[in-house]
Amino acid sequence: MEHELNTLQSQARELLAAVENSKQLEEFRIQFLGRKGRCSTIMKALGKVPKEDKPRLGQMANSVKKEIEILYADKQKSLSLITAGSSSQDNSIDLTLPGRKPEIGKLHPVTQIMNEVCAIFESLGFSVAEGPDVEHDHYNFEALNIPAHHPARDMHDTFYVSDSILLRTHTSPMQARIMEAQQPPLRVIAPGKVYRCDSDITHTPMFHQVEGFLVDRNVSFADLKGVLTVFTQKMFDKKLELRFRPSFFPFTEPSAEVDIACVICEGKGCRVCKRTGWLEILGCGMVDPEVFKKVGYNPEVYSGFAFGLGIERIAMLKYGIDDIRLYYENDLRFLSQF
Amino acid sequence: MKFTIDWLKEYVDTGDLSPEALADHLTMLGLEVDSVTPVFPELAKLKTAKVLSVDSHPNADKLHLCEVAVGEETFTIVCGAPNVRKDLITAIALVGTVMPDGTKIKASKVRGIKSFGMLCSERELGLSESHTGIMELPAEIEHGIPLLEALGLDDLIVEVDLTPNRPDCASVIGIAREVAGITRTPLKLPVESATLDHSNSDFSVDIEDSEVCPRYAARLIRNVTIKQSPWWIRKRLLSIGMRPINNVVDITNLVMMEYGQPLHAFDYDTIEGKQIIVRHPKNNEKTFTTLDGEERNIEPDMLMICDARKPIAVAGIMGGLNSEVSGDTTNVLLESACFGTVSVRRTARRLKLPSEASYRFERGVDPGGCVTAMERAVSLLCEVADGEAMEGGVDSYHGVRPFNSQKLRISRTADLLGITLDYDKIADVLQSIGMRCKPKDEDTIWVLAPTFRVDIEREADLVEEVARLIGYDNIPTTLPSVNLSYPEQDPKRTLRKHTSNLLADLGFSEAINYSFVTEKHVSMMQLRDDDNRRTQVQLLNPLSEEQSVMRTMLLPGLLENLKRNINFQNNAVKLFEIGKVFTPQGEDEQPEEKERLTCILSGQRSGTASSLYYSEDAVDIFDAKGVAEIFLETLRLYGCGSDAITFRTPVENEQETFSDPSQCLILDSDKGIVGQLSKLSTEVAKEFGIKQDVFFIDLDFELLCNLKTAAKSFQQLPVFPAVKRDIALLVPSAVKAGDILETIRTSKEKFIEHCEIFDVYQGKALDDGIKSIAVSVTYRSPTKTLTEKNVNKSHIKIINTLTSKFNGSLREG
Repeated sequence: MEHELNTLQSQARELLAAVENSKQLEEFRIQFLGRKGRCSTIMKALGKVPKEDKPRLGQMANSVKKEIEILYADKQKSLSLITAGSSSQDNSIDLTLPGRKPEIGKLHPVTQIMNEVCAIFESLGFSVAEGPDVEHDHYNFEALNIPAHHPARDMHDTFYVSDSILLRTHTSPMQARIMEAQQPPLRVIAPGKVYRCDSDITHTPMFHQVEGFLVDRNVSFADLKGVLTVFTQKMFDKKLELRFRPSFFPFTEPSAEVDIACVICEGKGCRVCKRTGWLEILGCGMVDPEVFKKVGYNPEVYSGFAFGLGIERIAMLKYGIDDIRLYYENDLRFLSQF
Repeated sequence: MKFTIDWLKEYVDTGDLSPEALADHLTMLGLEVDSVTPVFPELAKLKTAKVLSVDSHPNADKLHLCEVAVGEETFTIVCGAPNVRKDLITAIALVGTVMPDGTKIKASKVRGIKSFGMLCSERELGLSESHTGIMELPAEIEHGIPLLEALGLDDLIVEVDLTPNRPDCASVIGIAREVAGITRTPLKLPVESATLDHSNSDFSVDIEDSEVCPRYAARLIRNVTIKQSPWWIRKRLLSIGMRPINNVVDITNLVMMEYGQPLHAFDYDTIEGKQIIVRHPKNNEKTFTTLDGEERNIEPDMLMICDARKPIAVAGIMGGLNSEVSGDTTNVLLESACFGTVSVRRTARRLKLPSEASYRFERGVDPGGCVTAMERAVSLLCEVADGEAMEGGVDSYHGVRPFNSQKLRISRTADLLGITLDYDKIADVLQSIGMRCKPKDEDTIWVLAPTFRVDIEREADLVEEVARLIGYDNIPTTLPSVNLSYPEQDPKRTLRKHTSNLLADLGFSEAINYSFVTEKHVSMMQLRDDDNRRTQVQLLNPLSEEQSVMRTMLLPGLLENLKRNINFQNNAVKLFEIGKVFTPQGEDEQPEEKERLTCILSGQRSGTASSLYYSEDAVDIFDAKGVAEIFLETLRLYGCGSDAITFRTPVENEQETFSDPSQCLILDSDKGIVGQLSKLSTEVAKEFGIKQDVFFIDLDFELLCNLKTAAKSFQQLPVFPAVKRDIALLVPSAVKAGDILETIRTSKEKFIEHCEIFDVYQGKALDDGIKSIAVSVTYRSPTKTLTEKNVNKSHIKIINTLTSKFNGSLREG
């Protein structure tokens, strides 16, 4: 038994020293350290030695096995160092090969921006409401203080379905619909598709808007500036300069348009900002008392602000898309970029 | 609205404001400046020249050989103009100049003599129609200077994008009034204000409906000479892109641009009965020829200017050919009126005849300014057309509504704007643009707006004026203090977001298609004649046939997207769209709008993923089914203990006409059919120009939202090991794998945890009509480790059940 242990020890040393690669090492492991390997065979044989020799031989067998295990581990370590260090070896792994990428799809850039816009306002406590694409003239115009034959209708090239049914030209009808159905305080955004009969490199006949409004007691123009400043700065990540300038919408008064310093030229003047250094991103204003009266709110008690912004325009500015028609061709070379 | 800086300075001192600063100020006052650009940029390279000598061309009778001086240099120029003569100052385009019509001047031989440029006529320069000779400039003008400088055209044109509420600024004086408010300098007006002496006897004016013609003023000017306007008038018109016609017409246009008051000049001698009647057309008056020579249909509610017998103008829109000022006109009746905004707008729309005049009338012309503007025109007619103004005239203003003061509350204004204000501050800014303020009580101001501010009708309008004049920049930025509330989430929106993200993770990109499509789609899809999706919402005014009806299904749009991608060499396409489809309801009713979810799969399964690792196999029906399964499982509508949705084969006529009937599954629920997944029939694919196999999943998204999802509920993790046993069965080909699994699942045998198909084989080594199906069954007990014996009993029973039920046998080996 003793002799056998000594033989095992010296043979293991010899063989292990001769091992050159991981394949030989594995053969060695199976021969000596495997479940049916020589170490376990000898350990099993220990059960049959005379009782008085057991402690001594047992100790010896354990130390032999331990030594072989240590030697094996050392060899394994040194072999793996060699493999990693020498890429010239035939059986090394070429890590310059591409990874095994599963294919994933992308959300449409309009959806991505829409989600971003909605998330900012939802964080500010606005709820989200959606309304019909095919709208009554009443909600699209009349309720918003745009009577028939008002020149402001020129600002809306409208698709009609019948005399009084049309494709909404903005998401603002949701102001009237929600105010009609609910009482203040209100904090709502209404995202959706809108339609205008206009088509060229900067206009598609369908596009997306988000309407928003807040109605309560004591809401001021300063509050409007505050909320939209928060929005704009979150949307465009940086402390962008922005300005509010007077404009006109029949359903708000005072009305304003919000410009941001051109994100392309940083305000120096370029083709995108028509050399003004400013980019128009949204329209807004204090809800006109006429709109309140039409839904039965008392304008002496309540005030509020409303705003509307175009999603494609923001996507264009954030991603530098220069041809708006690309949005609806659904070319994967386009969609996969975002 | 266009004006030039030089023109503006006629009425207001702009101080040391640069044109850019002025533009910024106007923009921040709500008069958005679109552009500031040089006038006639295409003439920037032209110079003045002096003719030094004129000789006849040796090879051509009608051509001259000229030596011309351009500053220090002299050039030889061949010129055919009859008016070329020694010492004439004219315009020259030297070699390299690009003319307004785009031609580039080159040094070229004209009948053997080299010419180094071109002496230009006014027509060649785009300055007038005159082409009888080269341009003649005053003798005192130096040669060699830029032509634009010599003409006083070195000016900047400013284009303002006017909002519809500010018709008063559709005039240079209107802009000047705003600028005067900025610079706080007085206005310099050619005519401050004027009234009319009513002692007229030469003609009469009758207004039938003063509601649509609140004011009508007119004067007679005799003995005018019709000729070209002097350069200063032509220059003003040219600089803003208006074409000069003759002195009388030019004056009406010039004054319109100055004061914003459209004027019209009639040839007085064509007016029958010396009578002006403002009325609607009579029954027999069906057509009218406007001065552009077009015969137009007129309708009973249109407003016409008529003489004793017939219409002579469409009120506020365009004059008639029958009373037009022509070269022979000697007596002019000048009209300056106010017409109803809605009436003019409706008429201009119906006649499709928008004009500078109708633009202003539609938005509102100053009812207080008719006579002032008319007097300005009268004085010009006398000055530049040698006319004699007859004493007096007519000024009928029965329809002008009295202009009242408005109340403006200081506290209300301050609260709405979020700033502190007092009387002095408000009065200061409002008075700077001509409003009159008077304190009523501590908190209230009486404000009287000038008559040209037709947009000021209410307190809210005044609040806006205060905000605008104080400057939006000077209003602070605050956040509203509102009560905390939890915005309720719309479950449909939540599901839509979840679905989109999930499908994107599964390799589908999101498509968004137009809601309006071609009417042809429903036929291309080969829908049955009675399919209600053939009934579509039609647009009355579509941009094209391609976008003329509201879609009733999403699939055709996605198929067009697929075709486009294939055309651009990408045939591996997985797209989805969640969008509305529209079903018409009654006449003049909104259609029903319902959301659907449609996915298409086509081409290589692994998409653009590297073929180094993935096979190039194309997708098949099981890809579509797998996507539907994993998607519905994740939504907890299928599997995971939910039986909300089941997949089944269609019964008769249940599958879509555009489905391949052999590869179609219906997704059913207790609330009705949710949708189907299928292979697109090859005929329909062909309709869309697609040659490869296409698979689709089409679901009713609204119904999907209403299905009950399985609650998430924890199951104890198994403690004891499972035992797996395989069964290889030989069964007739017609046997369905699903039935085998169902039989195992529903067998009453104990310990069955799971079973699945792991191989299906048919072909070599097997008899015809026989296939091999391999099933793996997993057994487990929650209370003990199963022994061979425990499992064997159940397993043998299952094998026996299967072989007898499906007429099969165990496969050997």
